Amino acid sequence: MNIVVLAKQVPDAEAFIEIQGGGERLEIEQKFTMNLFDEFALEEALRIRERLGGRVKVITLGGGKATEALRTGIAMGADEALLLDHEAYLGGDGYATALALSRAISREACDIILCGKQAIDDDRAEVGPMVAQFLGLPHVGAVVKLDIAGTTATAESIVDGGRAVVEVALPAVFTCQKGLNEPRVPLITGVMKAMKAQIPRLTPEDLGLAGDQVGLKGSRVRIIKYLAPKKRPKVQLIGGEPEEAAIEAVRIVMDVERVL
Amino acid sequence: MEKILIFVETKGEEVKKASLELLSEGITLAGTGRFAIEAVALGPLAQKVKERLLPYVETLIQITDPLLETYAPEAYAQALAAYAREAGARMILAGATQMGRDFLPRAAVILECGIASDVTAARWLDDPVTFVRPMYGGKVLAEVSFAGSPFLVTTRPNTFGVVKPEGAGGRLVERQAGLSADQVRTKVLRLEEKARERVELTEADLIVSGGRGLKAAENFKVLEELAEVIGATVGATRSVVDAKWRDQEDQVGKSGKTVSPKLYIAAGISGAIHHIMGMDTSKVVLAVNKDANAIIFNYADYGIVGDLFEVIPAMTAEFKKRLGR
Repeated sequence: MNIVVLAKQVPDAEAFIEIQGGGERLEIEQKFTMNLFDEFALEEALRIRERLGGRVKVITLGGGKATEALRTGIAMGADEALLLDHEAYLGGDGYATALALSRAISREACDIILCGKQAIDDDRAEVGPMVAQFLGLPHVGAVVKLDIAGTTATAESIVDGGRAVVEVALPAVFTCQKGLNEPRVPLITGVMKAMKAQIPRLTPEDLGLAGDQVGLKGSRVRIIKYLAPKKRPKVQLIGGEPEEAAIEAVRIVMDVERVL
Repeated sequence: MEKILIFVETKGEEVKKASLELLSEGITLAGTGRFAIEAVALGPLAQKVKERLLPYVETLIQITDPLLETYAPEAYAQALAAYAREAGARMILAGATQMGRDFLPRAAVILECGIASDVTAARWLDDPVTFVRPMYGGKVLAEVSFAGSPFLVTTRPNTFGVVKPEGAGGRLVERQAGLSADQVRTKVLRLEEKARERVELTEADLIVSGGRGLKAAENFKVLEELAEVIGATVGATRSVVDAKWRDQEDQVGKSGKTVSPKLYIAAGISGAIHHIMGMDTSKVVLAVNKDANAIIFNYADYGIVGDLFEVIPAMTAEFKKRLGR
């Protein structure tokens, strides 16, 4: 099995984020980690390889910190890594990002493409299904169980109100949801290997893409500005004995806030 | 006039709340005289659903095909995109449900256009029309617009109000998608749906959630009883889901569901950032926690510092009394 994992380095969930320049840009605390959902994707790829043999390739797009996701991938056990590295790739929307990634994937034949169900920075959840469409492949979203038998996969997927068990012919794209597996912690030998790994880089030109097809220039969605979410006023504590407080809380819900 | 298509998601005799919200916005938009609104449904439609939908729009397009009988992302994307192209739609809107977020990105690629996912506010009449969507788990909002048209937008459930229009409404137009079998390579073997009397978390107006403070799986019955009386849905934190006290489907937070109810009652929840990311767009938050320093109180409108096993049953009793249930 040739397995491709799409992974992304993202700010940690607890990283401090500040809006600057009147909403023009974000200042993000330098605390990064591999996107949680991509870790499930990588772990699943490694487990499939352990069962069925093959190779695992991790691909990411981006500058600076992006390489770290690839090194984490190699440390966990991926065979190779590929970085889409060029200034022109940056600031892309789901469309521009998925176009570049799909070109990178299609350079070599593969059977299974795994990625997280969404990246926890942009929260778009668009790239997985878009990559599938660009490659003309089927996809199954929010997968919590994946069985591969020959050239067929059976995936259990979270849908509104329950789960769907879906059969799909390979090659196919799967977006991974929590519950799929428990990602392993890299061994020290893996970390050493990752530190020394040479990571090949591809420019848009290498992928046959013009500068205005990728990144910000290739984007159909534009961020006009960043806004701070509405801040909740300071909490009003309801005092008294438990029963009194409970009665007061019910009064507030029904008579003051009128949400019931 | 600019044409807006609203994808209508149905399930048996039900219409998804996010779809009804968009149809309600559609009534206002049609009233400006600038937009023509069409509802688009894919696959079979119950008679009751047709009657429910028609008062909202002048035209309800029902696109059928053997390949649209059950949900398949490839088929849905192809059918919706093909119709959008033919109709010359400027905007294609759908609820940011699991389904909407699953196949709309594919439709965007087919149409070679942009998509804004999980939008929580819209300025329809601005030029260009702008939308607001949360990023970084809601720590930042982004105001976005599109470089061209058409474009696609999915809106988070509970973003807009639902109106109930009067009258018989518009007409139903049936169409064939004309898909070929090789266009769909996924096959749903079975659906495992929980027999739920309650509304789906993402659509719920009222949510009662529990965390580690519940101490054991069986203690969730305290929350179940309150939920039963007020008609709420029960949610849970990551740690209680990881402890297998509740199902993954019940998890609210970064690695679970994002919810926007009118009332969110957080019982025995400490308030880890991972949880806050899933519920911070709730309208009113009431937290009950023994620990006066619990972080959840920073994200609540009202707080009770006390034992949830005393407070929650007392609230249940009081709601029962006041609601006459």
